Amino acid sequence: MRRTSRVSVYLSLLVALLCQLFPWVGQGVIYRPDFMLVVILYWLLRAPNLCNVGTAWFAGLLVDLATGSLLGQHALSFSITAFIALSYQRRLVLFNTWQLVGYVAALLIVERVLMLLLKLFEGNENPGLTYFWPIITGLLLWQLLILLFGGLTRPKTN
Amino acid sequence: MLKGVHQKLEAQQTPAFFVRGPSVFSRMVFFCALSVTIMAVDARLNYLSQVRQAFIAALHPLEVVANAPSEWTRDLQKYFSAHNALLQENYALKEQAFEQKVLLQRFNTIEAENTHLRTMLNGNIPIQPKAILGEISHMGRDPFTHTVVVNRGSNHNIKAGQAVVDSKGVIGQVTRVYPFTSEVTLITDKELSIPIQIERNQLRAIAFGEGNNTLDIPYLPTNVDIKVGDKLVTSGMDGVYPAGLTVAIVTKIQQNPESPFAKIVSTPVAEVNNHLQLLLIDLPEAQESKVPALDAAVGNPAPTEQNATTQAKTITKSKQKTLKNRAKANAPH
Repeated sequence: MRRTSRVSVYLSLLVALLCQLFPWVGQGVIYRPDFMLVVILYWLLRAPNLCNVGTAWFAGLLVDLATGSLLGQHALSFSITAFIALSYQRRLVLFNTWQLVGYVAALLIVERVLMLLLKLFEGNENPGLTYFWPIITGLLLWQLLILLFGGLTRPKTN
Repeated sequence: MLKGVHQKLEAQQTPAFFVRGPSVFSRMVFFCALSVTIMAVDARLNYLSQVRQAFIAALHPLEVVANAPSEWTRDLQKYFSAHNALLQENYALKEQAFEQKVLLQRFNTIEAENTHLRTMLNGNIPIQPKAILGEISHMGRDPFTHTVVVNRGSNHNIKAGQAVVDSKGVIGQVTRVYPFTSEVTLITDKELSIPIQIERNQLRAIAFGEGNNTLDIPYLPTNVDIKVGDKLVTSGMDGVYPAGLTVAIVTKIQQNPESPFAKIVSTPVAEVNNHLQLLLIDLPEAQESKVPALDAAVGNPAPTEQNATTQAKTITKSKQKTLKNRAKANAPH
């Protein structure tokens, strides 16, 4: 794993929160990627020494406060997703790009399904298939993060 | 010195490479338990609303930054809007204002007459509610719930529970108030219901939000006198929404032979997506505790009209204070 500074982690999380707060007009909110989740997953997988389940939990709590949903919902789903992400984190070196994308997609799906269950449990209506759009936009955001901050593992030197 | 040695020893025993603290699983269990607790506290007890308010207030600068780009584009569009278009709009608005003034003249006489008649009949005189103009700053951030966020908050004396309307009809109700903004839940939200009346035949019912931009009027028999195209207006029974505001138009009626109830679907008339301005109507003052005392002072027994207690409460103070209230209500306009 490469060295990362604590500052860049928290700064990027702040920017993610800002993006989450950005006023999405009309239907745009359907396609909005889960900024916080993708950013936290990136740092979890890249620098598990700086970010852990607790960081993910805190990020989820911030999202809850910002979106005005029931407090603790996102925190719960974020921490479970973080747990799954971290349990395979040491094997990431073996993954190629596409496997990594698949892995992240699986994590995003897990979070969405968890969130759906929580929301339905709370008594919200069924949102339909459009609810899963953020997975696709989230993957695009993931690739953007890789471009911006570099890959998860040290590039191979031949 | 001994301490130093001890530290060294400890460092040797656990090389930095393996220091990971509690295992990931135990962390996960801990934080899950914590979130479930918070969820329970937030859902069942109202301890955390203060925390939320403080957080939103602290977040306000960040929100301003996030909102800035869209506001700039809006301002830019305003700046470059053509001279001609503005002139036309001005003309149209003047014309509209003129027409409405003429209508209002008639309305004033009719209202005076109505008040007079009601006084003669020893009836209740409805109080004109005050209202604050607000602007939608953005749609709610949670796509699950049907909410909009308005740029008026507790600093502008907004209270949770206030009714919100636009020029076409009822939008919803204020559900959360933050210092500078407040969250308005739309009538289409599953959590909200609104007492209504069919304008054509004065039939009273309650409409519930269905979630997908429609309202449902359940528990009405299949032979009920409602037609497609009927206009639903607020009945004013709840004391929150003033009576007579347009809510929705009936769009579909299904009669299922197996069910004793008709399925009546209606679509709200308010245009949340097109308009920015809306009115936040003040809660009726009757909810304050001084009402009964005042009532006793006047020596006026509780009104004997047909309506529910809430409405009675709303209106009892009338007699003495009517003129005063009227003056107050009219002043800002």
